[in-house]
Amino acid sequence: MVRAALGPPRGQIGRGPSPFAAYLPAATVVFASLLTALPIVSTSGWYPDFGYLVFISWRLLRADPWPAWWAAPLGFVNDLFTGYPVGFSIALWSATILALDLIDRRTMWRDYWIEWVLAAVLIAIDEGLQWRVAKLVDAAPPLAQMVPPVVISICLFPLFAWIVSRIDAWRLGR
Amino acid sequence: MATARPGWSRRAQYGLFFSFLAVIAGIIVGLVLLTLSLVAPQQFERVRGAALDITGPIAGTLHEVTATTEGVFTGAGNYWDAATQNAELKRQRRSMLQRMVEAKAIFQENQQLKATLQLRERERTTIATGRIVGSSFNSPRRFAILSAGTSDGVRVGMPVRSADGLVGRIIDSGSIASRVLLVSDRANIVPARLLRNGIPVIAQGRGDGTIDVRPLEVGRNPFKRGDIIITSGTGGLYPPLVPIARVVKLADDGAVALPLADPSTTSFAIVEPPFEPTAVEAEHAPAAGPDTP
Repeated sequence: MVRAALGPPRGQIGRGPSPFAAYLPAATVVFASLLTALPIVSTSGWYPDFGYLVFISWRLLRADPWPAWWAAPLGFVNDLFTGYPVGFSIALWSATILALDLIDRRTMWRDYWIEWVLAAVLIAIDEGLQWRVAKLVDAAPPLAQMVPPVVISICLFPLFAWIVSRIDAWRLGR
Repeated sequence: MATARPGWSRRAQYGLFFSFLAVIAGIIVGLVLLTLSLVAPQQFERVRGAALDITGPIAGTLHEVTATTEGVFTGAGNYWDAATQNAELKRQRRSMLQRMVEAKAIFQENQQLKATLQLRERERTTIATGRIVGSSFNSPRRFAILSAGTSDGVRVGMPVRSADGLVGRIIDSGSIASRVLLVSDRANIVPARLLRNGIPVIAQGRGDGTIDVRPLEVGRNPFKRGDIIITSGTGGLYPPLVPIARVVKLADDGAVALPLADPSTTSFAIVEPPFEPTAVEAEHAPAAGPDTP
């Protein structure tokens, strides 16, 4: 008798993808956008853009977490919950999907470091554009004030990527 | 949509092509909406209000939990040195009583003087009270979420204050929650003056939780550390004599001040009607203010 057979049943056999596997990635992005409902009052605004972090984590992990056009409605939800001007995340998230698809065609190989660098660039673009939009309505702080949230978000990206990869494994029943 | 060519299937190729088009359409729609929301923010009032009604109650409920937990710990802490606290409070009460008598005398004198000057005393009404339950997390803008909305009579543009001082003004309102533009937001400019000597100043948020104060008249820097800044009532939106901030650092041509009503510890906030609604309307009639997002 094989030793493994004596242990508790692992429950791996017969486990398929969870029934909502196709919608789970989008649902986690909406959930992340909803994190702004946490009762934390931030006076500095150094928290990461949770929705965007989860969004790019999914997209960097898989090429097809959702149909490409879903980026627009997901961005719309993020705009509404976070209080960004409506349309900001719609445009940015769609552009992100497009940019990452174009990058996918060019890159020969990928590893964690490249993904992190990509994420860092995307996060910096996100924060920079937020600053730019705030400047349009004369509400932009000095640019130096945008550095801490960018650095914090970049440092937090691996954590989000890890959480997303665990959720992905769970939803596919692996 | 990841690979350049999904094989020889014509159908798959078209699918890929159309998904590209859909994404580009998404970008264009987003940019159009963004322009709209920057140029004419009132377009999205209803939909933003509806979103606030979803997040507001969640934040409110979670806020109860954290407040209770904090309350238990501070409550226990208060029992720890009850005796010394008691003595201290008694001492404070004695001195407060003296001050109160003085204040009453001054109040009476003030009323007499006002009567002789025939000044109309405007009565201050409260539209609604709510709790600050959340805020913008990641944004150069500083917003807070207030647990009172249009069903309580809250309208966009109303000033919000707490017992400690000025909080900001309403910029979005749902039926049970609303969004407040904090005084520490860059777009929030409050006409103010120094409490110490009445020098008129301008208070503008810095976007990081502090406020920039500048004197209206160029010249000597009138600020000292610890100075209290209060609203002047100019402009007609904010009521006069509401404390805004305390000066903590002097700069070349002004000073940096810390808001007295810290939104992270403020429990209750009061929404008041605009101080002089006619003045505000007259100002906003020609063009909707660009300061609302």
